[in-house]
Amino acid sequence: MFEPCRDVVCSFWSYLNQGPMTLTIFLHTLIVLPMIWIYFDEKKRLERGDIPNE
Amino acid sequence: MQGNKLYQSQELAIKYFTVAIILFGAQLLFGLVAAIQYLYPDFLFNTLDFSIARMLHINALVVWLLYAMIGAVYWLLPDEAGIEVVGIKLANIAFYILTAAVAVVVLVYLFVQVGPGKESTIWFITEGREYIEAPRWADIGIVAVVLVFLYNVYATVMRGRQTGILTVLMADLIALAGLYLAGMFYTDNIAVDQYWWWWVVHLWVEATWEVYVAAVGGYILIKTLNANRKVVEMWLWIEVAMMFGSGILGLGHHYFWIGTPEYWWEIGALFSALEPVPLIGLFVHVLYDWGKERGKGNEIKNVPAFAWLTVETFGNFLGAGVWGFMHTLPQINLYTHGTQWPAAHGHLAFYGAYVAIMISAMYIAVQGKAGLERLKMTKAGWWAISLISVGVLLMTVSLTVAAYTQTMVERGMHGATWEGYFAAQSNMWFLQGIGWRLVTGLAVIVGYGFLVYDLITCPKHQPVEEGETAAAAA
Amino acid sequence: MAQKVSVWTSNRFWRRSATWITGVASVLLILLTFDSMAQMKMGTAEDIAKKIDKRIPSPLVINYTIEYKLDPYRGHEIPIIGGEMQRKEGGIKSAYEKKEKFFGRDDYTEEEARALIHKGKLTIQAKNCMDCHTLLGNGAYYAPDLTKAWLDPTWETLAPAFNGKEYAMAAFLQDPPKMAMHERKMPNLGITEEEAKAVVAYLKFMSAIDTNGFPRNFGKIKGAVDARK
Ligand code: HEM
Ligand code: HEM
Ligand SMILES: [Fe+2]
Repeated sequence: MFEPCRDVVCSFWSYLNQGPMTLTIFLHTLIVLPMIWIYFDEKKRLERGDIPNE
Repeated sequence: MQGNKLYQSQELAIKYFTVAIILFGAQLLFGLVAAIQYLYPDFLFNTLDFSIARMLHINALVVWLLYAMIGAVYWLLPDEAGIEVVGIKLANIAFYILTAAVAVVVLVYLFVQVGPGKESTIWFITEGREYIEAPRWADIGIVAVVLVFLYNVYATVMRGRQTGILTVLMADLIALAGLYLAGMFYTDNIAVDQYWWWWVVHLWVEATWEVYVAAVGGYILIKTLNANRKVVEMWLWIEVAMMFGSGILGLGHHYFWIGTPEYWWEIGALFSALEPVPLIGLFVHVLYDWGKERGKGNEIKNVPAFAWLTVETFGNFLGAGVWGFMHTLPQINLYTHGTQWPAAHGHLAFYGAYVAIMISAMYIAVQGKAGLERLKMTKAGWWAISLISVGVLLMTVSLTVAAYTQTMVERGMHGATWEGYFAAQSNMWFLQGIGWRLVTGLAVIVGYGFLVYDLITCPKHQPVEEGETAAAAA
Repeated sequence: MAQKVSVWTSNRFWRRSATWITGVASVLLILLTFDSMAQMKMGTAEDIAKKIDKRIPSPLVINYTIEYKLDPYRGHEIPIIGGEMQRKEGGIKSAYEKKEKFFGRDDYTEEEARALIHKGKLTIQAKNCMDCHTLLGNGAYYAPDLTKAWLDPTWETLAPAFNGKEYAMAAFLQDPPKMAMHERKMPNLGITEEEAKAVVAYLKFMSAIDTNGFPRNFGKIKGAVDARK
């Protein structure tokens, strides 16, 4: 199931590195997911109309 | 043709642009020397060796782009903020100090060239690290001047109007300046050395400079097309998100083989693979705005500036996006790393992403200085943009042929040894690629001549159309 | 509820997203940098004594033989310092045992070795080596890559005439045009004897850096034939 790390030194990041995509999918998710929250937060504010026109 | 009343800051911008365009000439000249040496190694051997010519070529490139970048900010800052730049006297002094320092550094490069293997050489002659060879004393001077520049920008925006373009620029410039510090120390550990060296080189050209270009490109769109500011600024934020989102961790594509942990393979490959996305965005944005304004029957107010901006978006996408992507995955990079590949990519990327937009900004200044409502393209202007753009594109193609050959022969077939290196260098395909680079380089240099001529004279040589003369006569 | 709104075209939404994304990417880069820096610290005499592999080994490696071999465990070539031994997990690793004379000695102390590579690195920068050559693949492309120059077969052929390849390399560096092998010559950069020795030490040390298998197949393929000359 898990790919053993074969680097000189194995750190947290090397363990996340389970093949060609896992580590970056993890990092991309970390970056992109909270944008969903930002989206709904903005939507709420826009609907309330409490955003000054820029 | 009467002159226009400019802000003092814009007068300063013109000084920055002037030095920039002169250094651009120097860049091309030293590039020519280096290109000749590839074919005729005895050319200027022991006088101006390849290492010195190349160092001057790429240092002049970086320095003139920085000059032009600072110049463009001094140009747009009072315009955007609506007030004269705060601390303009200091800014003028800083300009002369910087220019004097650059002159001294260049003279030392040219006439001292190398030093003994001691700390004093690093401090006073050369740091010997590609692109940032400037000796330590000059580094410190550059930091001081940049602090003045940042003070100008921040103080002005605080007092004036704070637009979205200025907000992005403020955040970006501080990161850009801060990153330079990462290249200002010495270590015996060459892996650590290169790790931080890439913080300057990559995080400049693939993050902070790209965002700078997005911001200044937005300003140019507003100036040339009257593009809607709200839309421009929305695009700008999207581009910032995508450029920093991919470019910051995309740094990993330089951490495949320099003694860094293996996890960078994955991070570098997949983040940098996304770097072309915002570049497509930039390109689409400009074409979209162009189409929209044309549809409304609006004329372009500064045709050369707009043409150069179009070259920028296309060249950026092609040179950085496509040519960058071609060698960014580690499986490929294992064989292309350290061949003519990065050179091919470097030419089109630097040209497309930065040279073109700085020339565009210069045309905005030319128009502003002349006080013309509209600036049209002259014949010389067309020659300049065509010769330089086609020249650099074909140069890149030639270098790519050489690069393929080198990758295949030296890396693939000969296992990367000294012997393999020279086997590739003497291969016919390689040699002809390098030969065409010289030819296309000469075309670029002729184009440069037209460019300088046009920047100086285009307001006086505006083509007059039939209708206009009649209107003027009436 | 209120009016229909478009978040996708809201500047605020994109500004907040841009700020967030930039912030997280920067924090991640900083965390990764801490991890990498820890792994990239230069090794020590103690590491060598305990046979602990370091990505950037102790400069003491100049006392040992260095080879570049395929390690089936790592899946690519790795530097083998002082002979090879079996890994517990299968594959091979450095044994740090087999010594080799370097300018007549194989007992450099850690201080001496560090001083040598310090001088070597300074010289490499002071002479702008990187503006013709690549080191670890970075630099200019006018001359061969130096990452594994110490292991280049060319030096093996020159070694006998100089009583050892380190002497051959040092002689070359002090007057490259005299020993030029191709039309494209390396210029005389005024490298002194002391500097030359230090640079060779640096090259030997650099060839022992673990570069994740770059360059591939180094020195393995002999007598390859070009498709067309
Ligand atoms: C305007 C943006 C860019 C500029 C000006 C630029 C310029 C350069 C230059 C000059 C180098 C060579 C560095 C050296 O001398 O060693 C380089 C290397 C590289 N660039 Fe870019 N680049 C840009 C964007 C990109 C993008 C978007 C990608 C990927 C999609 C990319 C991928 C690479 C890779 C993989 C290398 C490393 C080559 C190697 O050392 O093996 N670049 N870039
Ligand atoms: C706008 C024009 C140009 C730009 C932006 C530019 C940019 C660059 C850059 C970034 C590099 C470093 C490449 C790398 O390390 O990967 C470079 C190297 C070089 N350039 Fe240019 N250049 C331009 C024009 C020219 C011209 C006109 C010539 C020749 C006539 C030329 C000849 C060279 C040579 C010979 C090298 C050295 C490559 C090597 O190390 O092998 N360049 N240039
Ligand atoms: Fe990069």
